[in-house]
Amino acid sequence: MKNLAFLNNKILKGNAKAANVFLLLTLLTACDHPAQNLSQEVLSNLDKSYPSQAGGTLIDAMIGEPSGLISMIAGESASSAISSNIFNRLLKYDKNLDLEGELAESWQISADQKTITFKLKPNLKWSDDMPLTSADILWTWHAVIDEKTRSPYASDYQLVKKTEAPDPLTFSVTYEQAYAPALDSWAGLQILPKHLLEGQDLHTTAFARNPVGSNYYKLDSWTHGENLKLSRNPTSVLGQAKIDNLVTRIIPDSSAQFLELMADNIDSMALDPIKYARIIPARPELKQKLALYKELGNSYTYMGFNLKHKPFDDARVRRAINYAIDKQEIIDGVYLGLGINIASPYKPGTRWSNPDLKPYPYDPARAKALLQEAGFIDSDGDGVLERDGKPFSFEIITNQNKEREKSAVLIQRRLKEVGIDVKIRAIEWASFISRFIKTGDFDVVVLGWSLGLDPDQYNIWHSSQQAPGQFNFIGYNNPTIDKLLEQGRLELNPDKRMKIYHEFARVLLDDSPIVYLSAGYGLTAIHKRVKGIDNPAPPAGIGWNSYDWYIPEPLRRSEAGRNEIAEN
Amino acid sequence: MSHNIFKKALANPLSKAGFIIIVMVFLLAMLAPVISPYDPDEINVKAILLGPSWQHWMGTDGLGRDVLSRMLFGGRISLLVGLVAVGISTAIGILLGAIAGYYRGWVDTLIMRLVDVMLSIPSFFLILAVIAFLTPSIVNVMIVIGLTSWMGVTRLVRAEFLSLSGREFVMASRTLGAKDARLIFTHLLPNSLTPIIVSSVLGIAGAVLMESGLSFLGLGVQAPQASWGNILTDGKDYIQFAWWLSLFPGLAILITVLGYNLLGEGLRDALDPRSSSNK
Repeated sequence: MKNLAFLNNKILKGNAKAANVFLLLTLLTACDHPAQNLSQEVLSNLDKSYPSQAGGTLIDAMIGEPSGLISMIAGESASSAISSNIFNRLLKYDKNLDLEGELAESWQISADQKTITFKLKPNLKWSDDMPLTSADILWTWHAVIDEKTRSPYASDYQLVKKTEAPDPLTFSVTYEQAYAPALDSWAGLQILPKHLLEGQDLHTTAFARNPVGSNYYKLDSWTHGENLKLSRNPTSVLGQAKIDNLVTRIIPDSSAQFLELMADNIDSMALDPIKYARIIPARPELKQKLALYKELGNSYTYMGFNLKHKPFDDARVRRAINYAIDKQEIIDGVYLGLGINIASPYKPGTRWSNPDLKPYPYDPARAKALLQEAGFIDSDGDGVLERDGKPFSFEIITNQNKEREKSAVLIQRRLKEVGIDVKIRAIEWASFISRFIKTGDFDVVVLGWSLGLDPDQYNIWHSSQQAPGQFNFIGYNNPTIDKLLEQGRLELNPDKRMKIYHEFARVLLDDSPIVYLSAGYGLTAIHKRVKGIDNPAPPAGIGWNSYDWYIPEPLRRSEAGRNEIAEN
Repeated sequence: MSHNIFKKALANPLSKAGFIIIVMVFLLAMLAPVISPYDPDEINVKAILLGPSWQHWMGTDGLGRDVLSRMLFGGRISLLVGLVAVGISTAIGILLGAIAGYYRGWVDTLIMRLVDVMLSIPSFFLILAVIAFLTPSIVNVMIVIGLTSWMGVTRLVRAEFLSLSGREFVMASRTLGAKDARLIFTHLLPNSLTPIIVSSVLGIAGAVLMESGLSFLGLGVQAPQASWGNILTDGKDYIQFAWWLSLFPGLAILITVLGYNLLGEGLRDALDPRSSSNK
């Protein structure tokens, strides 16, 4: 599923900092927690191998609190990071990104490619012991396409013509035409319990804060602004996870998170490039206890134009700006080389990424020529170009994410060199989305996309997806692209489909509605106490087998010791 | 009269120190374009987060910019915000205080109740709330700080006017038929000036601190323009590693605010007959 990405990191999360206000507060709370520094003995045993063992508690941290745990409504990465431990989908991707059944035991595609019939695993249960049947799946589909739900993912399921649940273990969908992203879409939809949600408004239901699911974990408690505690679900449909409890602490400031990581109070966090490449390698005591993971995520950072505002409706202006920005400088200076200069909106190296396309080179002379062609001339000699007497000046907005703010500063400098005056404004995530993105009240935005595995990007680029809350908020409207996206969804032959998306990326690059800045690596630090993590990361990422991660008994935090210290 | 007060205040070593600090900070800020070793906005991605060295006395920041140069230019912002904000608040304070203290009656009641209402709201939160509705910029910060911190001056001016209006020279001039404006501007106001100056000096310290706080929260001076507050924000993320990013702006704010406070306190002591008696 696609998400508005806060960060490029694997463990995606919420806004950077409304948060600064609470820095002091967080630091104080940090002191409240007893330092749980592991003994020297534990530290020196971290690298030994241990047999897999059930039990223990894994603590991680996130920056922004989820708005709710019904991910089809939230559409944000903070929400799905938690809800994916609680809810199941019909299908899932395995380690090598091949589809396999999750709730489904098997599935069959009809000869005309229009109907998929899923057979569910027998004896599925919700964590409240009620049976999970095909009726729940049918209900979830109705919910996601319901207009009242206003889900940004609705368009993925609207081509379904008919759904049926003839018996509790069978669910079938029939599309009007064969639909290529169909299986992928069923690997994205989290199935919700009909018996608890029927007749309720999904936007206001208490269920979003007190969910009942079927996956490895269930929610025990959610302390607003502090933490979410999950424990193993004894009736999990997929068997039992190794680790007993997952605690996600909400620490809205990455430096406070890092302090907690160093003090052994959390076990994992997403890192920024400076922490990953400069700080941790320079500190032996951190290197000793933290394992670092780097994976090329399916996400990228971009600068997007509001195409409804002048002069960004003019492709020459957009191309000029693309030429004027030095992407390699951003990758080297902001991402410390941990990024890739891309030319198509797909993960580099995958089949969907068109290898023939080259990113716009840094070429200020060409940028100036294009701007002149579009009518921008510095008539009063103040260094800023004008057209019709108005200076070329705009504001870049971004959320308060250090890498994006720094990228904006580098862009500002490069655009000044070609005569464009840029202002920068970093806005806290929640108001960034509600006041600027959803209302379309912006000139230029620096933001990221976190993408699904299927190449379909209909809900980002199709001209029909521009309503408030939908993902085409830059207002892109290109009939050629619309047609390619429609074709891509209906083409089942993988090679033909690849050609369609290669063409899609070519048109997009030429039209330049956004400037690709960098495809970033997800950088994660996980405490070496946690074992069972695949390194190097398989195609599906390190998190694919998190249910099999374990914390060997000798390396666990001492719960008794914790209580004693806490009383002091 | 006010000349004497300054002389008296500067006899006190602490307020003398405060005065010297302020003069130094002013000089450094004024001379920033001349003495800065680098352009404060010059980015060098090959020199990110370098510690203090002979090339960069205060190290470099996350974009390889020279911290010393940014500190010097940031100093200009702090002083500018301090002066303009206090200028605005003093102007409003004098106007309202003079009206209240001179005309009394219901106008006085109205203005003083407004003062009470404004004072009952914690000023930092008031400013945060107002800034949240505006585009953060240095101009807005100056205006908002100015518009939310005039209450002290108002009270002060009103009190001075109340006590002065009973004095013989004011009575005399009134009896001779002087108009309101003449009374206010030639008799009352000049004689209230010293306490106003003292409160303004102390007000600058508060405004400098407020600007740093707002910029630290990302609501004040916007990137890439440097201010002590937003250099501090950059430093926060790497506080255990790039200590120079937090230490120097922190010290600059501390020393500047201390300077204004020392001078302000010294002036106040010099003004106050009770405290001067033990000299």
